[in-house]
Amino acid sequence: MIIVNLDVMMAKRKISSGELAAKIGITQANLSILKNQKAKAVRFSTLNDICKALDCQPGDILEFRED
Amino acid sequence: MRYDDVILRWAKIATILFTAMAVVADVFGVVITRYIAYCWAEVFDLGRVIALMVVFYLGTVGGYIVLIPLYKMLSNMSKDKVFDRQNTKLMTIITASLVGIAVDCVVGGFIWNGCWILSVVALFMALVVLSIRVVFAKAITMKEEMDLTI
Repeated sequence: MIIVNLDVMMAKRKISSGELAAKIGITQANLSILKNQKAKAVRFSTLNDICKALDCQPGDILEFRED
Repeated sequence: MRYDDVILRWAKIATILFTAMAVVADVFGVVITRYIAYCWAEVFDLGRVIALMVVFYLGTVGGYIVLIPLYKMLSNMSKDKVFDRQNTKLMTIITASLVGIAVDCVVGGFIWNGCWILSVVALFMALVVLSIRVVFAKAITMKEEMDLTI
């Protein structure tokens, strides 16, 4: 399964949910869905904005783990 | 008012009218079944007439079980609750009821052959509603996936 390590990256960059949501232009509710592993898919554009805001690579946010 | 809303409004009115017809059929059920038995089916045996009456009343009960969920579904749609799990449940109830009516009509067919036609019509309607239910279920799944795409 794919694990979203967004909270880890946010902690490293010392950025709050509200701040990140405002930077990438999505609602806090949607950011919460992403952080809580409830999202079914992530748009490339969203991933691009997150990587840009957190100055990281997609691999830093997404991780594959065996079920 | 949008065109779809007009259709929904008239569909709701039609559902109410059909329910009223079912109520009238229940009130005059004894007269109607006697008419069907004596004039159409040419059945004069009291036992068979009563059996036809039972089939008739069971059919109207099935009619209510179709019409009430249909009205609820139309109300949901007029509230913009279209692709909702509740609607698929209501469609399942409608399908089950239509199959029930078809079985009821099959039994009635042994007394009056005209019931066979009603049975086929009910089964066809059940098939149509079931197909729409499957489409709705798929659309709901797609909508949920879309909602969870960030």
